[in-house]
Amino acid sequence: MKTLKKASLYFLALLAFGFASCESEDPEKENEGEVITDVTLKFQELNGSNALVGEILSFKASDPQGIEVGKTPTVQSISLTKGKNYQMTIEVTNSIEGEDITQEILEEAEEHQFFFLGQVFDSSFFSIQYADAGGIALGVKTNVTVSASTGTNNSSMRVVLRHDLDKNFPGVSNPNFANFVQAGGETDLDITFPVILN
Amino acid sequence: MIQKAILLCLVLILSLGTLSAQKCDLVLRGRVLHLENNQPIEAAYIWLSESATGVVTDANGNFMLKNLCQGQQTIQITFIGHKEIKQSIGLNSAINNLTFKMEEESVALGTVDVHGHREAVQTTTAVSTLYGEALLQSRGESLGESLKRVAGVSTFSTGNTISKPVIHGLHSNRILILNNGIRLEGQQWGAEHAPEIDPFLADELTVIKGAETVRYGPEAMGGVILVNPPALPTSKKYATELNLVGNSNGGAGNVAVSHAGGSGKYPGLGYRIQGATRRAGNIQTPTYNQGNTGMSEASLSGALGYSSPKIGTEAYYSFFTTELGILRDAHTGNLSDLLAIIENGAPFAQADFTYTINNPKQVVTHHLAKLKAHYHLNPSWKLNFQYGFQQNNRQEFDRRRGELNTRPSLDLELFTNTAELILEHNLKSQWTGSMGIHLIQQANSNVPGTGVTPLIPNYDLLNGGVFVMEKYLKGALELEAGLRYDYRTVSAARYVGKNLQEATMTYQNGSLFFGGRYQINSNWSFTSNLGTAWRPPNVNELFSQGLHHGAAAVELGDANLDSEKSLKWVNELEYEGKRSTLELAAYANQIRDYIYLNPTGETFVSLRGTFNVYEYLQANAFFYGLDISGTYSFTEQLNGYAKGSIIRAKNTQSDTFFPFIPSDRMDWGLSYSLGENPDQGKNRITISNVLVAKQHREPEFDLAPAPPAYALINLGYSKKLKLFKNTLSLSLQVNNLLNSEFKEYMNRFRYFTADMGRNFQLKFNYQF
Repeated sequence: MKTLKKASLYFLALLAFGFASCESEDPEKENEGEVITDVTLKFQELNGSNALVGEILSFKASDPQGIEVGKTPTVQSISLTKGKNYQMTIEVTNSIEGEDITQEILEEAEEHQFFFLGQVFDSSFFSIQYADAGGIALGVKTNVTVSASTGTNNSSMRVVLRHDLDKNFPGVSNPNFANFVQAGGETDLDITFPVILN
Repeated sequence: MIQKAILLCLVLILSLGTLSAQKCDLVLRGRVLHLENNQPIEAAYIWLSESATGVVTDANGNFMLKNLCQGQQTIQITFIGHKEIKQSIGLNSAINNLTFKMEEESVALGTVDVHGHREAVQTTTAVSTLYGEALLQSRGESLGESLKRVAGVSTFSTGNTISKPVIHGLHSNRILILNNGIRLEGQQWGAEHAPEIDPFLADELTVIKGAETVRYGPEAMGGVILVNPPALPTSKKYATELNLVGNSNGGAGNVAVSHAGGSGKYPGLGYRIQGATRRAGNIQTPTYNQGNTGMSEASLSGALGYSSPKIGTEAYYSFFTTELGILRDAHTGNLSDLLAIIENGAPFAQADFTYTINNPKQVVTHHLAKLKAHYHLNPSWKLNFQYGFQQNNRQEFDRRRGELNTRPSLDLELFTNTAELILEHNLKSQWTGSMGIHLIQQANSNVPGTGVTPLIPNYDLLNGGVFVMEKYLKGALELEAGLRYDYRTVSAARYVGKNLQEATMTYQNGSLFFGGRYQINSNWSFTSNLGTAWRPPNVNELFSQGLHHGAAAVELGDANLDSEKSLKWVNELEYEGKRSTLELAAYANQIRDYIYLNPTGETFVSLRGTFNVYEYLQANAFFYGLDISGTYSFTEQLNGYAKGSIIRAKNTQSDTFFPFIPSDRMDWGLSYSLGENPDQGKNRITISNVLVAKQHREPEFDLAPAPPAYALINLGYSKKLKLFKNTLSLSLQVNNLLNSEFKEYMNRFRYFTADMGRNFQLKFNYQF
């Protein structure tokens, strides 16, 4: 009988332990490491000998809350001059955490790629080539040629960043590859910038 | 002429005489049960001394004696290891129904086993059990897939590795799974969260198709699944079982071992240990590999128990861990990605066969420990106590940039304590019943460091319930009723950005049921059960607010949702004859405030692209349907079976259909036994055909239309051999023999890929 009493005592102690240990932790703030809040397209003119000249033109798309319902991103219009060549560089940042995501994209160039689509290319107002360091197809740096004669002054450019794609898929080396989804992976950015041509 | 008249008169007088003096066309029907657990006793011997007639009970404990005379009779019932029943009964009406309960002999006989205290399902609801040969056939499959063998059960799956059982159109938190008597508490709210249990631990899978909230607590709205390990040995004997399963599709293999033994020195002491593993690579459709669909799983369980005539105790532990790859292309960045792959109808990525599991993936572990004891206060009253502890860890990994790729984007830790105290009585009279209290305490925490705002908050949950049930038995008739009250509080907290969000909710509800079972004759029986059930909203339904990663959907919860309340009526007619069996179940389930995820028709635009917006809404729903299953023996060699189910579900408020309701389906087959003693099934060929209709009752919004109907042909050969005096079972099965390409409406990945192609499966089972 004594052992039975002892056993039940241990049992009760175990039970008390079980129930006491069972309390949820206080919630903690999460650093949204992956969120992209700002995408800046920087254009600088290239002269005939491929040297950068003139001032840098910046056009920004931003969504300071990251992905949150009810807020829509603000996208600036790209304003460029007809008949000129530009070097475009893309900067991607997370302003909430103060992180430069461009650096991460460069480090994981094998898994990322920008594609450039939309009416500016469909109507041949723009032509674009990858100009990244090392000759890879990434799109952080590109050369953009604006046609001298365009039928209209207003157009649009869609910038897509893909992640985890198959870079050997036929057609992927083309910055205007419209069937990028066929190369697999998923979309990190999909922004349509209005374009004004002067 | 005169002679004839005399004869007539004599006959008349004689018959009048018998009518007035003694009527000898009475029928006595009865049932013999174990007093301890109401399990039927087969082969108990019944003797009526005055009539000098006797009979033996059948497998259900039923017996019938005909042509009995009116008046007092002495009935004597004997069964080995039990106290003899000898009593006087009065036979008056034409049909007499009686129930007898036999008490175990308390004098320990050296040769008699101490009775294993295994709990029986005591319900008047429609019940289907998978055991023996049928369970052997399902070995190597997940719980959901195994249970598809039961009419009325289908699966809600995410690819071919994640499948959740669906009972009468309800799944996830609307059904309950019990692991050896303990409510399995994982993150079951998720459509892509498979039950954290390995069916290898069970020797019996039981599906209760009724609303069983009174017995098992909230959420048992559509039904209950009992995963029961074998009873522990109580005498000196050993049993070991080895299972090996190999599959050509996905190169999947299982190894499972179990060993049970009893002590000779201490009668009543027994143990069991069991372990299983599974490894699989990419699944193959008829034409391509599904990229990143491999999995690896391991489970372990052990039990130690002691039984004596007065006390029974058991300690049980089970562990389950799994790593599941999620089809790479099913994880989409935004709506245009999603629509592109749906239009393609197949994954874009050309995957090779590999066992490697990459992100996206899930890593889940589940521990369950239980302690159970019962004490017989006296032969009629028993006290039951059960305590369970569970820890569930779920990590979900997405494809992410840089260092984040090694970190889970969802990391949850869930602790659950359950305790119950039940007082049962099993009186020698017609009454049995139980009353008890039931506590659930739960704590959910997000493990910090995911870099993602948690999908569900941290929360503490407390649920208390009290219940009482009573059953009346009279021969062929059983009547049952029960009542329960539950109170639940949930307090939740999380950070959304830099804002702390807190909420406390309370829910309370009563539930009740009425049920009955009538054994019409030795072949036919009828059960009917009417029960209410309720389910409080899940945390995800209350608190989702934002992007569902990978699903290209923004989901909005509603903290003001009410509990769902249902009323389910299930009727079952069963026939068991010499050559054939038949089970026919019809049900209707009215659910008030049914919670569902409704597409708002709006889209949300972000820098990442566009997403569909969904919100959790409530509406009244009505489910009804029919399950049929039957077998027929054409000859000793040739046997056939058929089963099917039909479900109709509607939102009665908007007169629309709900998504993911199983379409009409049936499955039929023939088996032919070769060689001598065909009844033993030593050498058997089976051919079966699965027919699944197109779901024509589609919701107004779906990403893709319901896939077309499909038919599959499966072929099997099984052989039983004697190896060192023990039985070795071997089987070769070919599923989807014709390698047909099909998509199942209930598979969430039907948007992205065809289902599994042909599979050759080799099974080996040895019991020694």
